[in-house]
Amino acid sequence: MLRLRPTATGGGLGVSLAISADGGSGLPTATPETIEEAAGLMANLPAGGDRIRIHGGGSHRGIGYPVSSDVILSTSGLDRVVAWEPDDLTVVVEAGVLVEELEQMLASKGQTALLPEQPGTGTVGGAIATAISGWRRYRYGPIRDRVLETTLVSSDGRVVTAGGRVVKNVTGYDIPRLATGSLGAMGLIARVCLKLWPVPQASATVPVESPEEALEVAYRPLAVLETREGAAVFLGGTPEEVSGQAAALGAVPTSGLNWPSHPSGAVRFSVRTPPSSLRGIVDGLDPGWTYLAQFGVGEVTVGAGEVDLEELGELRGRAESLGGALVMLDAPPSLAGAFDPWGTPPPSIEIQRRVVNLFDPGRRINRGILPGRI
Amino acid sequence: MLTLPPVVQPLTTTIPLAVKRSLELELRRRLGDEQVASDPLDLYVFGKDSGLVRGEPGLVVFPRNTTEVATIMRLAGRHGVPVVPRGSGTGLAGGAVTTGPHVLLVTTRMNRIGPVDVENRCVWVQPGVINLDLSIHTTPLGLHYAPDPSSQSVCTIGGNVANNSGGPHCLAEGTTVNHVLAMEIVTSDGDVLSIGGPAPDPTGLDIRGLMVGSEGTLGIVTDVLVNLLPPPPASRTILLAFPEVQNAAATVSGIIANGLIPAALEMMDQPMTIAVERFANAGFPTDSAAVLIAEVTGHPSAVDAEAELVRRLAVSHRATLTRIASDEAERKRIWLGRKSAFGAIAQMNPDYYLHDTVVPRTRLVEAIEQTYAISKRHDIPMLNVFHAGDGNLHPLMSFDASVPGVMERVDAAGRDLIEMCVAIGGSLSGEHGIGMEKRDYMHLVFDEMGLDAQARIREALDPDGRLNPGKIVPQGSRCFDFGRPPPVGAWV
Ligand SMILES: Cc1cc2nc3c(=O)[nH]c(=O)nc-3n(C[C@H](O)[C@H](O)[C@H](O)COP(=O)(O)OP(=O)(O)OC[C@H]3O[C@@H](n4cnc5c(N)ncnc54)[C@H](O)[C@@H]3O)c2cc1C
Ligand SMILES: Cc1cc2nc3c(=O)[nH]c(=O)nc-3n(C[C@H](O)[C@H](O)[C@H](O)COP(=O)(O)OP(=O)(O)OC[C@H]3O[C@@H](n4cnc5c(N)ncnc54)[C@H](O)[C@@H]3O)c2cc1C
Repeated sequence: MLRLRPTATGGGLGVSLAISADGGSGLPTATPETIEEAAGLMANLPAGGDRIRIHGGGSHRGIGYPVSSDVILSTSGLDRVVAWEPDDLTVVVEAGVLVEELEQMLASKGQTALLPEQPGTGTVGGAIATAISGWRRYRYGPIRDRVLETTLVSSDGRVVTAGGRVVKNVTGYDIPRLATGSLGAMGLIARVCLKLWPVPQASATVPVESPEEALEVAYRPLAVLETREGAAVFLGGTPEEVSGQAAALGAVPTSGLNWPSHPSGAVRFSVRTPPSSLRGIVDGLDPGWTYLAQFGVGEVTVGAGEVDLEELGELRGRAESLGGALVMLDAPPSLAGAFDPWGTPPPSIEIQRRVVNLFDPGRRINRGILPGRI
Repeated sequence: MLTLPPVVQPLTTTIPLAVKRSLELELRRRLGDEQVASDPLDLYVFGKDSGLVRGEPGLVVFPRNTTEVATIMRLAGRHGVPVVPRGSGTGLAGGAVTTGPHVLLVTTRMNRIGPVDVENRCVWVQPGVINLDLSIHTTPLGLHYAPDPSSQSVCTIGGNVANNSGGPHCLAEGTTVNHVLAMEIVTSDGDVLSIGGPAPDPTGLDIRGLMVGSEGTLGIVTDVLVNLLPPPPASRTILLAFPEVQNAAATVSGIIANGLIPAALEMMDQPMTIAVERFANAGFPTDSAAVLIAEVTGHPSAVDAEAELVRRLAVSHRATLTRIASDEAERKRIWLGRKSAFGAIAQMNPDYYLHDTVVPRTRLVEAIEQTYAISKRHDIPMLNVFHAGDGNLHPLMSFDASVPGVMERVDAAGRDLIEMCVAIGGSLSGEHGIGMEKRDYMHLVFDEMGLDAQARIREALDPDGRLNPGKIVPQGSRCFDFGRPPPVGAWV
């Protein structure tokens, strides 16, 4: 990807745009290095060439309706750790920071932001934009519970900060929660303050026969996961607690957290149900598919080479009838047109549209990506 | 209590008498006389919450179900009269106080608890259900509702959702927003809408998360799906006492910095301890400058080691008492003492003003020192009892409002407290909300674009100002591409 710096003009918003084409997508790519540059860039795009697609690490490009865009904005230049207060358990980072690098830094002082465990090239901004919570959610809750402050950049160049750098806060509307999972529709997520947790002193992976029974026995494990290879309980805590819990589960633990790999395939999707309905969904999955099910949470991520649309539609129907959803994470172009990535829009869709239209008035960032083609 | 409205003057708007009469008549016809109150005494009684500001509603209505809430919202909307939801009125920021002769919608008759879904550990509850009643109801099933505000025996779930209320046990478990899965709301247009769901991560924007903490300005919550938790298998409650407040604050920072997040970490200073002890007889040492209550919960094999770590850290910060509650009775007594702090204060002086601000937890020592300096500067006694683990301060001013000049000093001390907390990196409110009380301080933490964004949220959900006007967002916040004139017939 060709990396571009906007040139300063002096006065006004301080930035004019000089972009050239990037090889891959054929679209010009801009790589702002500061939040102000990002704001200036977006505000100064020429009319008719101003639809923006945001690129983080690219691991979840396939989420949502396809976005038609004139420009790609890469967050890779927004790569600073702005402030880390280990004693406060908070960190402020820019969106383009790699999840892997942030977690490595935090681990040096025994802390974690609980971002997805096998992030590949994933960025902090991407994890927040997609609201993907990682595997330790059963113990610590979803990612949106940890986003304390967001700085968003609107396509018209407004820089909006909301929330605060404190762990408990009811000062104004919770815009950070709206931004988490917004896929850019509330603006570019440029900088965030995250709540951190201490990494438990000890951890272990315990193979089990039945995830459901394990959930009854174990007290607040980090995760209870099942794949085609089997199921395991992931424990974290004091050494005594971890060995005590492993003994109660009646199996030989291996030390450390041996996370299974992500289900792979040209088609990837996630099925979400109330936790007690997950077994039924998992048992009904096509034997040709790989999966990773989070028991206690109610989500299974599936990978498949190819899928039968009818089968997928039936699965979605079951998930939705239980109050859940089937969400496409990745699909080849042929499938993307034929199968709705989100399914039935939520009843609050018109409110969502109104919120987005007020935050991105021209609807220029990742236009149409959300349910209801917002 | 107080009659002066010292902190913020409510906006007053007038509503023509004919309009008010017609609305009342229609409401009585549709809901029945029992559900509508308009005599002066009722209007006076419902003119306040537990904060300082007084208002006076034009009408008070007591809907019994969602349909009635929607009817009220529509009828009031048609008459151009705003609606203000109210639970038990224990809010401290004037959130449930009307800023004009509006319709006050009291949810206390919507108090049904649905069947508990034991497998998924959740239950639908109506907004008027009292927080503690919910936990009492689910205890036989081995489940409880985690957020436990000190007011839990009187405040409603609807009020908790609207304020994103916390409580002593929110340090590890999180506040209300972490325990609400879904809800039903009545919108500003009077439509009934379902938000969120029983499965993780409903698609689209997290409107559920937005509604929590929105103080009745974005919709009226008519049903809530809350998450329930089993009790922890083991817990240890530790009572600690210190010769200096700073030692207690340093212990709090030390515990967090050592990688331990206890279930609760609550602090009281000496004046507060004395008041509580006199009132509740909880066994707190009254000769120490500060008392800290720490509770660790979890697996039986973990809690002893964690309690020992807390004890060791406290001793390293000069603790003079480190007592682990020996049984459930002692544990209960400690918590009863902690939660009766405000009752205790009521005995001291005719009036009190409970403040709520939040600072980064590493700045606790500084914040407390400055709190004492502010108390001295304005000659207003301040007692402190607070959620130390979150950095959530609750200086409590105790005074007699009938003494001339006192209210001005209370007001000035409040302002100094807020400015101090913001200056050291804190925020305006940790759990009581903005309401009217702190609306005009919002510019201290938000710049122009930040305030404008807050106003946009409001505009998206309540474009005509029909819900709880005059709260959270200061007037004039919406400054960019502002083009929409207030609609005819609306009192905004
Ligand atoms: C193959 C693979 C599979 C994975 N599967 C899982 C999984 O199943 N579960 C799990 O927990 N983790 C998973 N991860 C890890 C992790 O979820 C991702 O790395 C991360 O969440 C996505 O970040 P990204 O930067 O790659 O996002 P991208 O793919 O770059 O972006 C995702 C979407 O968010 C938008 N976006 C990105 N950044 C911003 C921003 N700053 N502001 C606004 N919008 C933005 C993009 O436009 C795009 O629509 C996976 C990682 C890989 C490599
Ligand atoms: C002694 C005392 C101790 C307290 N301790 C704590 C504490 O530990 N932690 C804490 O967080 N708070 C505490 N509070 C504050 C208060 O109890 C909480 O904010 C509580 O949640 C308010 O509930 P309520 O039913 O009294 O609401 P009200 O005061 O009636 O209303 C509060 C707000 O909620 C809105 N509202 C009410 N019902 C609805 C609804 N159905 N839909 C939409 N909006 C609605 C109102 O408009 C208003 O803005 C305390 C208060 C007192 C007096």
